[in-house]
Amino acid sequence: MHMRERLTRRSFLGGTSALAAAGWMAVGTGWVLRPDWAHASGPIKMGIATDITGAIAPSGNANWQAAQLAVSQINAAGGILGRPVELLLEDTASDPGTAVGNVRRLVQSAGVDVILGGITSAMREAIKNPIVRRGKTLYIYPQLYEGQECTEHLFCTGPTPAQQCARLLPYLIKEKGFKRFALPSANYIWPQLLNKWARKVIEENGAEVVMEEYFPLDQLEYSATVGKIMSEGVDHVFNTVIPPGLQAFMKQLYEAGYYEKGGQTCVYFDENSVNYVAPRELEGVYSCLDMFHTMDDAFSKQLIADYNAMFPDTKYLFSAGSAATGMYRGVKLYEQAIIATNGDLARDAASAAMDTASIAEGPGGPSKIVPGTGHAEMNMYIAQSKGGVWDIISSEMTVPPQECG
Amino acid sequence: MAGTGDAPKKPRQILPILEIGVLILLLIVPMLTSNFHTIIASRMLILAMLAISFDLCWGYSGIMTFGQALFFGMAGYVAALLANKLGFVQIWGIIPISMLVGLVASFLIGWFLLLGKRTPTIIFVALGTLTAAYAAERMVAGWQWVGAGNGMSVWDFLKFGSFEIEPGPLFYYIILACLVVCYIASRLVVRSQLGLVLAGMRQNEERLSFFGYRVQVFKALLFSFAGMIAGLAGGLYAFHEGFIGPGSMGIGLSTYAVLYGLFGGVGTLLGGVLGVAAIETIAFTLSDVDAFKPYWPIILGVIMLIVVAYRPTGIMGLLVSRRERIGSFGRRKRTVDQKEDAKKKEPTSGTS
Repeated sequence: MHMRERLTRRSFLGGTSALAAAGWMAVGTGWVLRPDWAHASGPIKMGIATDITGAIAPSGNANWQAAQLAVSQINAAGGILGRPVELLLEDTASDPGTAVGNVRRLVQSAGVDVILGGITSAMREAIKNPIVRRGKTLYIYPQLYEGQECTEHLFCTGPTPAQQCARLLPYLIKEKGFKRFALPSANYIWPQLLNKWARKVIEENGAEVVMEEYFPLDQLEYSATVGKIMSEGVDHVFNTVIPPGLQAFMKQLYEAGYYEKGGQTCVYFDENSVNYVAPRELEGVYSCLDMFHTMDDAFSKQLIADYNAMFPDTKYLFSAGSAATGMYRGVKLYEQAIIATNGDLARDAASAAMDTASIAEGPGGPSKIVPGTGHAEMNMYIAQSKGGVWDIISSEMTVPPQECG
Repeated sequence: MAGTGDAPKKPRQILPILEIGVLILLLIVPMLTSNFHTIIASRMLILAMLAISFDLCWGYSGIMTFGQALFFGMAGYVAALLANKLGFVQIWGIIPISMLVGLVASFLIGWFLLLGKRTPTIIFVALGTLTAAYAAERMVAGWQWVGAGNGMSVWDFLKFGSFEIEPGPLFYYIILACLVVCYIASRLVVRSQLGLVLAGMRQNEERLSFFGYRVQVFKALLFSFAGMIAGLAGGLYAFHEGFIGPGSMGIGLSTYAVLYGLFGGVGTLLGGVLGVAAIETIAFTLSDVDAFKPYWPIILGVIMLIVVAYRPTGIMGLLVSRRERIGSFGRRKRTVDQKEDAKKKEPTSGTS
């Protein structure tokens, strides 16, 4: 993992310097990407706080690149109401303690108008306070998560448990015949609340939860758990372990021979997951997200192509489970909100406009914020990993988030 | 303060000048810098209290503690719980409660580690505190009621009555006042007759116990006092940062406390403050330079190795003479004896 981080970091820097040649600049604190043209009232400052280093780095880098893509498209089209968008990056380093200090730079030192970022819920919990409360700044959280985040001025542009599981779990039970579920989980808020949701749906559909266990995030030894999964006749593992524990868990589960016995779901798995686990450990895993590269949608396909053209050698793909789609969606929804306020960037005005913002085209399809909830409705796709690609099994349009309503 | 004034020939005193200089500098920080930098400086002052707490243990009573963050974190968690579960955020309550948590926790651990039947070795105490901090970190990381791996966000501001104290100049001065009080109290303790006993213990514990001093009790007392200061820092930290997590309780931060102390110079009190200022300023500056960011821990490690190997007295060793660092203790009848005492009991702080 550490070796991998070094290399990925270098390729990240390489990718960014390619941008510098294309008219962007990287200077001073963190990273600043300045547009090459100006406006009398200055640029709109957009802060990105994401995990460029540390255990979640593969997702964080995808996020940062998705933000660059969205902003470069906005600037290429003349900015928001004529004003260019300037991007500022701070590394949250996969560590909430470090993140609080770094996010503060964006709010207090750089004075950004909006912050997008945070991947794990632990990170969101840590940074929402310095952003929304202490920093009085609008915050957009792009990752799929456990729901129940109803903080004012905080908007969630990734899928909720209802969006991810309401159809997936009944499908697994009714159509695939899985009956005995195991819920191995990292011990933090996302798995805890998601499992509560999952357990309810599993039991309502006539299947049972055989075990539900929580591990410290950095646990590397799972033989007891894997042993129990093997001996208790579990036929489906609903996996909410996250990196850095994830790699060890998947490896040990694979080596125990579970893959011949039963199925597995990991609802944040996507095209980027090969950065975390070996391809053989991905085989047959189910996921349910707001976009897959295999989907047949012209706008999404173009978006992925543009992304790959902008970052030709990147291993961090534009994928949903890494929050890249939520990031892109968040930037575009914010653009719509600022158009609606007629350029007013003040937190309360922008927040009120975000509440009704919508985009006709986005990654995976259209999206809009459901007024009064701070959450977005979007299209959802159930897919299974087969031979390195995500084979889409079914799709549903404009799925409501069912949060904070 | 240093020197009782009645010694016949007084060497030039640098320590008081340094202390007053640092205080004046700290007083004008919010006037010279932006709100953002004031907040960064506030955080440093909180960590300075943690560094003083470490210095009291290692520099003055020979307790090699790798667990100061435990008291810091525990008080931080209690403060966060008071705010989040009970909605209690009054500063007049939070400060004494934080201190009490630090005091009680360190007393219990000090009791367990120091007041046993056998005289504990330095290694035993170091590993004992290290284990306690590690265990506590793992425990809160797995305990859902206190946020488990998430830690806890402290949503509300510290309040006085209905007035909200946001991080900024006012909060800075409150923290500075706490730091100054802790500093003066620590200075009075270590330069009292109790301090003299401690200095003697550091040199030759056996001899002091032959004199009839119950050295382990003295150690436990100072350890509890230090824990109280760490607790105060932790309570303030939770509200200032608006966040407390398992990382604020474990061996990572504890090790930083050790580094601050060693870098600044142990057995000086002021050394800890300078150590925090130096390390945190370098860290803050370097983290702006992207090329250095990944290598910062390595750079820090190398600096520490060099300091420990070649400059065990830290920054303070460069600025203040050995004679003055040890200072003199409390009031005694005959100054001649005192001079001799001081000569005999010159410790080699940091090298033992």
